[in-house]
Amino acid sequence: MDVERFIAARRPQWQQLEELLATADKVPEWELGAERIQELVRLYRLACSDLNQARSATANPALLGYLNELAARGYRFVYRGGGRRQPAREAVRRFFAFELPAAFRRERRLVLAAAAALLLGVAVGFAAVLEDPRNGRDLVPAQFFTESPRERVARIESEEERIDTVEKALYFGASLYTHNIKVALLAFSLGALTILGGYWLLFYNGVVLGAVAGLYLLDGVQLFFLAWVGPHGALELPAIVFAGAAGLVAGKALWLPGRLSRGAALRRALPSLWAMLLGAALILVVAGLIEGSFSQMTAKAVPYALKVGAAAALFAALVVYLFATRRSEP
Amino acid sequence: MTAAPRRERVVLTPEHVELRLVPAGLASRFLALLVDAGVILAFTGLLSLLLARLPWGIGQALAITLGFVMTWAYHLWFEVRRQGRTWGKRLLGLRVVDGHGLPLTWQQSLARNAVRALDFLPVFYGAGAAACLLDRERRRLGDLLADTVVVQEGRARPLSAAALGRPRQFNSLRTRRVLRLIRHRIGLGEREFLLALCLRADALEESARYDLMEEVGAAYRAKLGIDDPHLSGESLVRDLTAILFSDEGLAPQPQRA
Repeated sequence: MDVERFIAARRPQWQQLEELLATADKVPEWELGAERIQELVRLYRLACSDLNQARSATANPALLGYLNELAARGYRFVYRGGGRRQPAREAVRRFFAFELPAAFRRERRLVLAAAAALLLGVAVGFAAVLEDPRNGRDLVPAQFFTESPRERVARIESEEERIDTVEKALYFGASLYTHNIKVALLAFSLGALTILGGYWLLFYNGVVLGAVAGLYLLDGVQLFFLAWVGPHGALELPAIVFAGAAGLVAGKALWLPGRLSRGAALRRALPSLWAMLLGAALILVVAGLIEGSFSQMTAKAVPYALKVGAAAALFAALVVYLFATRRSEP
Repeated sequence: MTAAPRRERVVLTPEHVELRLVPAGLASRFLALLVDAGVILAFTGLLSLLLARLPWGIGQALAITLGFVMTWAYHLWFEVRRQGRTWGKRLLGLRVVDGHGLPLTWQQSLARNAVRALDFLPVFYGAGAAACLLDRERRRLGDLLADTVVVQEGRARPLSAAALGRPRQFNSLRTRRVLRLIRHRIGLGEREFLLALCLRADALEESARYDLMEEVGAAYRAKLGIDDPHLSGESLVRDLTAILFSDEGLAPQPQRA
């Protein structure tokens, strides 16, 4: 085969395919029209056969590279999925009504495992501090120890409200949830790539939380602690657990794909990851807004009992929504 | 430490054609990331300037939220809705594709970008770069998880003799004897090789170019029985190529129907 002649003969068609693909990148499918799509598919098949022909005739890297790229672009267009498009409103409704709770129920074992890691951490931290309060110094970051829990409670309760305007609450809340979402993504990534790292991160956060709780209990201000951490913690801790559990789901697909190939196992896990990560992020936004306002209110504004009650109600609502509602697949 | 050798991923299409996904290197990806980071920074900066007109607190909250959304959604949006190319990737001729050579889905893009949090550590994509160098398909951690590859594109153009430019007027090889030998002893494959050599010579380092041209020249000197000591290897190769791509260069080919 004379490659020069081959190139000269086929080039117009290749250029036509290039132009069609460039148009297809820019305009939606319905605007492209059936005729142009058919033409594109025909030219793509031609390019495929040209690539095969060229491979058997020459090793010219530029020609093969060019044809390979052209055919790959065509392939990406012709065999891309997602032909069936839902209207955005319907997709959102479906996500919250079905996909989100379904994903959590599907992966409930790993969600439980992640929660267990966190709770185990809490138990260990709590027990360590109760056994000897000095252990707290090793477990909790140093800036915590500038004052004792009792002094801190007395100071906060005697001062003016720290968050006294909507603006302050919003600003504080926004900084909190953006930070927390980043932490959640990190927990997800660690779990996904190392599995054990995910468990460790959950466990470690549990230890710190348990130790702080223990220190407050020893100082006799446990009710303040519950009212202070509870309202947002009831959502924030589950969200971190969910992100960690999503990491475990991904890690399982990556490292223990079983009979499936790794790629297939990962693709199968994607819907769960999508729902769990988006779910965790949304929960963290709500939790951050609560932490920036309601959680910071002193006993003068809202009695402790109400705050603890709200925490319990939020947690119950979350669990019921994700795990206890019965819906058949639409 | 040297990087693991690069490996192309082969995808077999239903037409039974093997498509090769050529992974992009670390440097071009890094440059693309710098461009993207610059774009995001510029947009968030502009955004906070605009939102500063709102009352304090509300403006701040919006700026933080929108900045955060932009940082993370920028990649998602371009990867899914713009065929795998952010502005940085478009500039550098890169594209994110699924490991099967297909476009990314939203779910895949989210998984890929969620791991950015880890890839970014300890400083500006340190972990991602290390993963890239160790992986033969140059995948960062996010790519490993979502089964995606960043490929390079838009570099290859079919070689054509038109790019050789006008041949030199005097060509010492254009003698009856040498022309006859050229027709008999040089095949199509060699002709292409010589063309590729001529077109790519400018990209070679000077001493490498000289050595290569001399080596190839010596081979053809022997093959065609040329003993002109003043003809350099490169001149010989270029003259030979010019003849091969002129009408007198090749034995007549049977026409394909």
